Amino acid sequence: MGTPILELQNISKQFPGVKALDDVHFEMQAGEVHALLGENGAGKSTLIKIISGVYKPDTGVIKLEGQPVQFNNPHEAQAHGIATIYQELSLYPELTVAENIFMGHSPHRRIGPFNVVDWRKMFEQAREILDSLNIHDLDVRRKLSTLSVGNRQRVEIAKALSQNARILIMDEPTAALTEADVVRLFDIVRLLRERGVGIIYISHRLHEVFELADRVTVLRDGQYVDTKLVKDTTEDDLVSMMVGRTIDNLFPKLEAEIGKPVLEVRNLERKPMTRGVSFTLRAGEIVGVAGLVGSGRSELAQTIFGITPPDSGEILVDGQPVTINSPAAAMNHGIAYVPEDRGTQGLVRQMRLRENISMAILRTLTQQGFINRKAEAELAARSIKQLNIRAYSVDQVANKLSGGNQQKVVVGKWLASQPRILIMDEPTRGIDVGAKAEIHRLMSELAQQGLAILMISSELPEILGMSDRILVMREGKIVAEFDRSEATQERIAAAMMSAAAPNNANGVPQPAAMQEA
Amino acid sequence: MTVIEASSQALSLNQRIRALVFSQEGVLLLITIVAVAALSALSEPFRSVENFLNQGRLLTEIGLVALPMTYIIITGGIDLSVGSIFGLTAVILGYTWQNLGFPLELAIITSLIVATIAGFINGWFIVRVGVPPLIMTLATLALYRGLAEGIAQARSARGYPDWFYQLGQRDLLGVPTQLWILIVAAIIAAIILARTPFGRSLYAIGNNETAARFSGIPVGRNKMLIYAFSGLMAGLAGYIFVSRVSTTRSDMGTGLELDVIAAVVLGGTSIFGGTGSVPGTIIGVILIQLLKNGLSLTGVTGDSTIVVIGTVLILSILVNNFIQRRSGRMSS
Repeated sequence: MGTPILELQNISKQFPGVKALDDVHFEMQAGEVHALLGENGAGKSTLIKIISGVYKPDTGVIKLEGQPVQFNNPHEAQAHGIATIYQELSLYPELTVAENIFMGHSPHRRIGPFNVVDWRKMFEQAREILDSLNIHDLDVRRKLSTLSVGNRQRVEIAKALSQNARILIMDEPTAALTEADVVRLFDIVRLLRERGVGIIYISHRLHEVFELADRVTVLRDGQYVDTKLVKDTTEDDLVSMMVGRTIDNLFPKLEAEIGKPVLEVRNLERKPMTRGVSFTLRAGEIVGVAGLVGSGRSELAQTIFGITPPDSGEILVDGQPVTINSPAAAMNHGIAYVPEDRGTQGLVRQMRLRENISMAILRTLTQQGFINRKAEAELAARSIKQLNIRAYSVDQVANKLSGGNQQKVVVGKWLASQPRILIMDEPTRGIDVGAKAEIHRLMSELAQQGLAILMISSELPEILGMSDRILVMREGKIVAEFDRSEATQERIAAAMMSAAAPNNANGVPQPAAMQEA
Repeated sequence: MTVIEASSQALSLNQRIRALVFSQEGVLLLITIVAVAALSALSEPFRSVENFLNQGRLLTEIGLVALPMTYIIITGGIDLSVGSIFGLTAVILGYTWQNLGFPLELAIITSLIVATIAGFINGWFIVRVGVPPLIMTLATLALYRGLAEGIAQARSARGYPDWFYQLGQRDLLGVPTQLWILIVAAIIAAIILARTPFGRSLYAIGNNETAARFSGIPVGRNKMLIYAFSGLMAGLAGYIFVSRVSTTRSDMGTGLELDVIAAVVLGGTSIFGGTGSVPGTIIGVILIQLLKNGLSLTGVTGDSTIVVIGTVLILSILVNNFIQRRSGRMSS
């Protein structure tokens, strides 16, 4: 191998109270796809922010093609050919594809004393860049807001290339993509590799690493673990490198005694996404709800929880009909809801851990109407212990926690309400494998203690691994029900997509996680 | 990342002192002390007890309205209509008493009820119809002022009985009467904000309204409450003002909203919502009033005073941003 296109030596970075990176190494050749793996909080984000000039390392050297460099800001990194595609895309929805590609460096021409944008040249060059990526079906004059997420991502890649990127950092690029878009993305990544671009690829999906990457570097707790050739390693190896121990069982399902029905839903209607849903949930039971994105699973959960109260139908708790027209009413009947999107629905990220955990039950932690801070802090401390939340103190701001720990805070908040019915919407989305196993274990234990759990998930392995029964939703209705013993991936997937799903040109939409098994 | 066992222990004394010094309130208090010291050295009339008490009388109206404004801005909202509600209350007080022949006590109560309803209307439209607070209260800023002018017909009401002036012009235990009201109201408002679930809910709403709703917090009810509270306090301030100046006119309180918002923001409440405190707001109100007074007493002209206040406002916001970034509440 020649001189690495990018080399990081002895990189350390300290934040107040946290050593985010401790003596980390990283090295990449031109024309290599190099996967960067680690649990949430392992330091991947900090490392790529250092490479892309957002942070400056406290110690250590960054070398580009053997030459030491220093970036004071992201612009300087960009000028050196380093482009980053973040999880949240940084494009302008109201501008055209071409404008987005050339944002900040559009081609100019002079009219008299004025420097004006050369629109024709811009559209032509945008077209050329897209063509060079084998993207022929994207109109450069279209507004970005009219494009799918997959197409927006392609625009983002084109934008990086328009700046002559030699190093491309992709942070969880497939998180929001459909299967068809993932395939096209991989084609583009391979094309770039052939052209000698170095690609740093971050993903929680190990099978993508095996499909795409040449080498893989693993970080754990801010420290460098190892770099390996992908062909010399296995999924189990990587997982144990990431978590520092072997995870014997990702789905620790325990035997639980299944009791009386606690939640019965009959003909529940809430237009447009909940259309005549009926099911029963028993004490000690985990019922999985499978379905494609947009099949009405979250909407059903939010209707039961009173966020969008039902138009008609019945909800029975312990056999008694109840009226649920607000989350507070749902809580009074012992229902808790861990929402799908912890950033916008689950947590108030700017507030402290203590304040988040107590949020739903604060009224019970009062003395003569005043918040009992001691009781609040004790509650938070108990949650931290029970859920093994990695935090420095109950006063830590939730934002500073890693994704898995944030999710545990949301779960802790709802367990604090001592529910008898727990609805969990994508309980382990976007969190690392260690935290995932912990949450699964907790769910099993809670069910054993008699909690009734309704678990919505897009990951079929999770649905199959954790559920006693499985409901399948499609177009706002429950279309199939399987017992644990009779459920298979194929049967569930078939029910999710069956006859009614149109077989369009892009192929049948598939749940992103199906391929993970 | 090194992980330390989390403890339920409260912050140590040392941390508390650091937190105070580095808080917006701490910095502002320091600025206020320095300003008072400097102005006292420059001006003999400024440093008299009598002057300070008189300034207390003058700042009460802004202070009262600033309390609910702090709540509202913490939730990420704004209330631009307070000056108009202030004027409307004054006019209704005078009109119902002088023209409709209400007993003065009843006229006062009527005007306060109207003020509360005016605030509640703001809240109802903001919550139930989803009108952005800025637009809603900008509309009622014009609407309520128009009502006041329509009712008053350019007349002013004067000649109140003697007892009416107790509140605005006299003292109780050596302190201006209305200042007692502000002190009590500020203490209650501070405790509610800092120590009750209701107060906590305002911070949650301002930081992430969706998550607050998903946590079972009655977001809509609480928002309507604070806008109604804002109307009530604007009305109370209007009543005190009438008592202080002995007359009612329909243009009373014009521009009040800007003074109030400036004081609240100076006091460390983020205009984006989510942070702020009553002590901060009170210090902001005091600082602005003392700067105005002290600068004019030291011979600085009115125009320059405004420049100084603007500069202090900008400086304090810079300090606030710096502190926020340190505490990690703002993403970098």
